[in-house]
Amino acid sequence: MSSTLDARTRMQRLLSERSPAALLGALAGVLLLGNAAVQKPGLFIDQAIGGLVYGMILVMISLGLALVLGLMGVVNFAHGALFMLGGYFTYATMASYGLPFWAALLIAPIGVGIVGIVIEVVVLRRLYGKEPIIGLLATFGLTLMIEEAARFVWGASAVQPAKPEFLTGGTDLIVTQVGTYRLFTVAVSTISVAGVYYLITKTDFGLSVRAGVQDGEMTEFVGVNLPLRFTAMFFLGSAIAGLGGALRVVEFGIDPGAAEEFVLLAFVVVVIGGVGSIFGSVLAGLLVGWAQFLVPVVLSALAIVTGVSAINVQGISDIIPFLVMIVVLLIRPRGLFGEEGLLE
Amino acid sequence: MSGESTDRATGGLPSMFERYKIPLGLVVLVVALRPLITSEMVLGYNAIASKMLIMMLFVAGFNLLFGYTGLLSFGHAMFLGFGIYIPAILVLNGAWVLPAGGNITFLVGVILALAAVAVYGYLLGTLIVGMGEIYFALLTLAFSQAIYFIVLRNPGELTGGSNGLTQGTLPDFVEQTRGEIAIEAFGLSLDWYWAVAVVFLLGMLALWQIVRSPFGRSLVAVSENEQLARAMGVDTTSYKIWSVTFSGVFSALAGVLLMIQNSGAAIENLSVFTSGDTVLMAVLGGVNYFFGPVVGAFSWLFVEDFLTNFELWQFPLSEVTFVTVDLSDILVYWQFLLGALFVVVVLTAPEEGIWGYIRSVASWLRKRMQQVRA
Repeated sequence: MSSTLDARTRMQRLLSERSPAALLGALAGVLLLGNAAVQKPGLFIDQAIGGLVYGMILVMISLGLALVLGLMGVVNFAHGALFMLGGYFTYATMASYGLPFWAALLIAPIGVGIVGIVIEVVVLRRLYGKEPIIGLLATFGLTLMIEEAARFVWGASAVQPAKPEFLTGGTDLIVTQVGTYRLFTVAVSTISVAGVYYLITKTDFGLSVRAGVQDGEMTEFVGVNLPLRFTAMFFLGSAIAGLGGALRVVEFGIDPGAAEEFVLLAFVVVVIGGVGSIFGSVLAGLLVGWAQFLVPVVLSALAIVTGVSAINVQGISDIIPFLVMIVVLLIRPRGLFGEEGLLE
Repeated sequence: MSGESTDRATGGLPSMFERYKIPLGLVVLVVALRPLITSEMVLGYNAIASKMLIMMLFVAGFNLLFGYTGLLSFGHAMFLGFGIYIPAILVLNGAWVLPAGGNITFLVGVILALAAVAVYGYLLGTLIVGMGEIYFALLTLAFSQAIYFIVLRNPGELTGGSNGLTQGTLPDFVEQTRGEIAIEAFGLSLDWYWAVAVVFLLGMLALWQIVRSPFGRSLVAVSENEQLARAMGVDTTSYKIWSVTFSGVFSALAGVLLMIQNSGAAIENLSVFTSGDTVLMAVLGGVNYFFGPVVGAFSWLFVEDFLTNFELWQFPLSEVTFVTVDLSDILVYWQFLLGALFVVVVLTAPEEGIWGYIRSVASWLRKRMQQVRA
């Protein structure tokens, strides 16, 4: 995908081509954020880090979804279920088998990756080249099955393993305290996302997969075992979603409903970022995470300045991802960095 | 289908039957459903029959969009929600001039709900039908989620938030005695099931008329081969928009019935799970056929109720039992089996479903009979 390679040039072009209205909008956004930061500095930093943690989790789910969608053209609705399984596997390793957190952090993604391989070999292989709607429907059925299996094994209510000792404390930033675990989440997710990004865009493996997407027949002709690569790709996408689930379950717990909740958000992220662009998904994930956490702060700060309390809308954060997506799609139907013609 | 041509050639009754088999089937369904389903042997309670009819109408409305136009809506619960919430809110609060709880208020609410859905569906369609089917699915989902969260937030104390609306949402002509609902109008008392049946029949016949009209044929053309349809001068975008509108209106009609059936508005009916169930029911039933959604909704609700009540598997009969297996622990998780069935259906014949399977078995049998007779 060329979009992933010249992301920087695209960015520059994007900025230079902006209309005055868009630049004004950006200026207004910066002013609003600045106002919020001045009015409530502690809360602002707090929410910014909360948004970053949430955004990185979203990136980890969306990355696998974007890989499968952009590279193989399958809309994998079951991706949220894989994320959920990552959380449950972590819980099982830590609570049921008594293994330490580090072991769970390794076992859960691999376990989820194996489930991913099974799904790919049994179901998704039949869907390559078919209409995307069929893939959406089939993986929706898979989601139901995985959800129900999780409910069977771990029950319908949320489960949460104990946080590891050394990550329970807080880290002092000047204006506020932040849980060490949150910073740990950001670090782990950044490293893994960067790793996958590097693998796809800079290595021979990534190159051969992308070649296979462009022209499968020709790629196989020159000696690439394409089905194997696609399976490996799917393992990778599933494992990173599983890692996201493992990171989240320790802080927030997990329940069977998480499967559909997070696949929705991941879709929103992929659509905002643009189908086919991995860079776009990363950016959009962070954008959605921050929007969800910062908009309430911005609104309440604005309410203080203007004295109009009606601006401070309660509970707007749940709708924010969808509002952002609707707006982005109306202005730019293919998403921020999407390629023209994909899935249209 | 080999018998079709000979029937038509002879004319008279067989051809009339062939032509009106869908309305006839609907009438037979309505008459037979309740005695069959509510008998002690099967499910044993009354409310399920009317609920089945309501969901059939809802899924049939959905299928106008998916099966006939080829647009997959993953947020159809929002249309159902319009029909549930708008009349309930109006009856509960009264309008500016109308008295709260009055029959007229309710009727105004119904008309308002259908009109609002029509306008909303038209605008939504205008915004999003042009973007391709995957985007359509995701955008309907996004819009539906946005509406869900708005209702959940209980703006202006109107929607009741997560509790829904439970008190005083019914108009005066609905009588409730010990869980049984009846309609009292003009000095007559009509059982709720038959009231639903009338609306169901009218709604389904209207759908049938739409489907077999030139408009409906054009919808099929749009879904079969959009480029060809456009090349032949069909304004495909406009047809898609109207399909969203009609589909929404029929779903909202089912929502109105559901509000009375549940005597209130529950937020679950707006959730993503309701939207997902709708897709499941339609695909399981068979989206290619008019009766597909009917069969799908029936099987789904039947399985849901039957399997969750069904605890012991006794073989061969409950009187003479050789083997007894306690299935109650497993059958609670019936969705797993249904999910598996769904995946198989989608992978093998995504547009045929159960009804398509029944039809193919029936036509095979007919062919065999003819061979034997010859």
